[in-house]
Amino acid sequence: MTTSKFHLGWFLGAGFGVQSWNQPWSGTGAHDWMLPDQYVDLAHSLERACFDFLIMEDSVQVSDTYKGSMEYYLRTASAAPKHDPAVLAAILAHETKHLGIIPTLTTTFYHPYTVARMMTTLDHIAKGRIGWNVVTGSNTRAAQNYGFDMPEHDVRYEMADEFVELAHKLWDTWENDAVLADVENGVYADHEKVHRLDFQGKHYASRGPLNTVPSPQGSPVILQAGGSSAGKAFAARWAEAIISNPHGTSKMRAYRDEVRTLAAEQGRDPDHVKVLYLISPVLGETTAEAKGKLQRRKDAMSKNIDGLLAGRSHLSGIDLSQFDLDAPLPADLVSNGHRSSFEEFKGDGTQTLRERLIDHSAIDTIEFVGTPEDVADQMEGVMQDVGGDGFLIAGAPLNRRYVAEVTDGLVPVLKRRGLTRDRYEHQLFRDNLRAF
Amino acid sequence: MFHLAWFLSWQVQSWNGMWSGEGGTEWNHPELYVDMTRSLERAGFDYVMFEDGAFVPDSYGGNHDWWLARARSVPKQDPWQLLPVLAQHTERLGLVGTMSTSFYPPFMAARTAATVDHLSHGRAGVNLVTSHNTRTAQNFGHDDIFEHDLRYDMADEWIDLVKQLWGSWDADALVQDRERNVYVDGSRVRPVDFQGKWHRSRGPLNTLAPPQGSPVVCQAGGSGPGRALAARHCDTLLAQVESVEAMKEYRADVRARMVEAGRDPDSCKVLFIVSPVLGETQADAEAKNERVLAGFKADISVNLANMSYASGVDFAQYDLDAPFPDLSGTNATRSSMVMMSVNAQGMTLRQAAESNVRRSVELVGTPDAVASQMGEIVDEVGGDGFLISGNVNRRYVAEITEGLVPELRKRGLTRDGYTHEQFRDNLLEF
Repeated sequence: MTTSKFHLGWFLGAGFGVQSWNQPWSGTGAHDWMLPDQYVDLAHSLERACFDFLIMEDSVQVSDTYKGSMEYYLRTASAAPKHDPAVLAAILAHETKHLGIIPTLTTTFYHPYTVARMMTTLDHIAKGRIGWNVVTGSNTRAAQNYGFDMPEHDVRYEMADEFVELAHKLWDTWENDAVLADVENGVYADHEKVHRLDFQGKHYASRGPLNTVPSPQGSPVILQAGGSSAGKAFAARWAEAIISNPHGTSKMRAYRDEVRTLAAEQGRDPDHVKVLYLISPVLGETTAEAKGKLQRRKDAMSKNIDGLLAGRSHLSGIDLSQFDLDAPLPADLVSNGHRSSFEEFKGDGTQTLRERLIDHSAIDTIEFVGTPEDVADQMEGVMQDVGGDGFLIAGAPLNRRYVAEVTDGLVPVLKRRGLTRDRYEHQLFRDNLRAF
Repeated sequence: MFHLAWFLSWQVQSWNGMWSGEGGTEWNHPELYVDMTRSLERAGFDYVMFEDGAFVPDSYGGNHDWWLARARSVPKQDPWQLLPVLAQHTERLGLVGTMSTSFYPPFMAARTAATVDHLSHGRAGVNLVTSHNTRTAQNFGHDDIFEHDLRYDMADEWIDLVKQLWGSWDADALVQDRERNVYVDGSRVRPVDFQGKWHRSRGPLNTLAPPQGSPVVCQAGGSGPGRALAARHCDTLLAQVESVEAMKEYRADVRARMVEAGRDPDSCKVLFIVSPVLGETQADAEAKNERVLAGFKADISVNLANMSYASGVDFAQYDLDAPFPDLSGTNATRSSMVMMSVNAQGMTLRQAAESNVRRSVELVGTPDAVASQMGEIVDEVGGDGFLISGNVNRRYVAEITEGLVPELRKRGLTRDGYTHEQFRDNLLEF
């Protein structure tokens, strides 16, 4: 078999929040989720396993979408409390040597100058290993925390487009050889190589230049997740890696083909846009043990309709408690939050809301279950079939046992088969991402 | 409440198992142990204890091939170089390294342990072994090891001298009197002038008194002389016995010996070696345990080699289908041999090698079930805790520290934080 190597990333779906606090193997998670230790251990393990990157999701509100109350979310520590991943990114950057570190920052809530400066600062600390997961924000309460109403979905993408364009222009305000650090002649930077920008856009303006020196990568690696047409257009223009969750191999292949075509239309090399699929492999010492674990998880989930409704309400911004569980959702129901994932969730109207909740995993593209050998077989098969760039592991809840199962059980098998890297080829995150 | 500790060697932990990670190339670097000890500290373990041995085994099959092929007991590195690294990455965990009383000069031992006690702010411990293997003796220039009981006699004198050296500086010898320009008060430091039957040393030690005064002394002694040594000198003792009854007997015996030696029996904590097998369901855990036992059956060389290691007798020489050989008169780890021989009674050598010959109390189940069982055992035995000895990989460590320990804590059975800064103070807290 001649499968080329594929990439691995880890998707920290709960962000810098409560990972696991009342589950088997939660350890001290209820009390110490806000300390760096668990993430430092995770990053070290991912680096040992030669992952390309760790991405930390974020959101900035205490949800009350479900039943119009914060009760469910706070009682179960769902999506709140959550800390700022950019702060954690600095610590992880310092604790690692090769791993790409990717915080999530919302275009809608920041000024481009703030983000441009923060990313450059982090990329220096990380010696060229920072990425930026660009999100537009999806929740009304989050917008209200920043003092405004949430812009409409497609407008947010229009704003994001201008935001990222401006950020890149700010990163370019210093020429690469602007810093001389000429000790003898007493010249630190050559002022003629640092330029004003005077950007005036529809949504943003900035004079520039940036008040920091160019970072090792010049600009952070841009990540993005977005399946809507506005999201895909944005990705085609800017994204260097895409977090995606089309369900099943044919949709996975179609999604990747489309993104690559759109990127080529933008004049970009499609190989510079890596499409990574979200998965949560369930691993066990025997196939039966792993399948039993998955079944228990599904059983628990199907009994927790409340939790499934609250989660979907959070992502879509729609209070789903108002709908009949035993009828399909209204066909004309549109989310102003995570739009495409809600469309996918809603389905074609042949299943009831209850059935959709139970059958339709929130994030996984495909089910992987078994021993490390089994799952390596499955991953290899999907990559051959889809022709994709790799996977994003999103196993939740995060706990140290699960991390070990992936990094010390699954990945060694992938490495031995030559399916994933067994060393980092380059210093810079972007170069590693483009290595194959 | 009872105490928890972890028992391992600085050797290849796991290199071709399902969850080995990069264990084959990682074992000799600190990262795995740093991750592990930080987890143990989060879980409130009292200490981690590194066993050691200074020889390449060749007792099975007459050469070293089996041991090297399996990475069993070789390669193995000196834990005293790892402990300072671990001290740097932890704050409260006790750090115990093994020293051979037969081959470490007492002055060197006292100085090394004192140094680590300073580096760790009072968290060092010394595990005493007398060394049972001829190859070790030969590596240190002797023809053979000393006879079993003689070794314990020598060990007794050895630790006596080491403790005297630790005590050769008064705790208040460091005065730092800037006015008088006096760093250490010479009247509070004195030679030991030790003249023993086997060891001599003038002293004093050339460093400050260790923060703990005396680093914690640990030992694994099952035989009579071993228990006697422990009763006189040890702060903690580890034992491998195979039933709750045997635990009771062992602990009661050690405590009686301590009283005889004029010590408070609560001043030595007896920890029993266990290897919990954990799963998300009872059935998963039992199936895993069955796979371990089936492994012994599938490859009897593992137990034959283990028996050869413990006894110094080459089990490859015997007829597998003849009765288990008579081992009396060997000069090895005596209590281990007794356990093996008793367990093998009425068996052929093959049958013995197919079973688990070095048993401890079986703990198999969910974290919830095993935690309950551990609580019941300690109630029955009267104290003091357990020493985990299992396959060191990150998944197993996580099962213990993130799965089992939260269940123990929930029941109030183990500590959920450290009361004291120093190792001995935490060990003697309950």
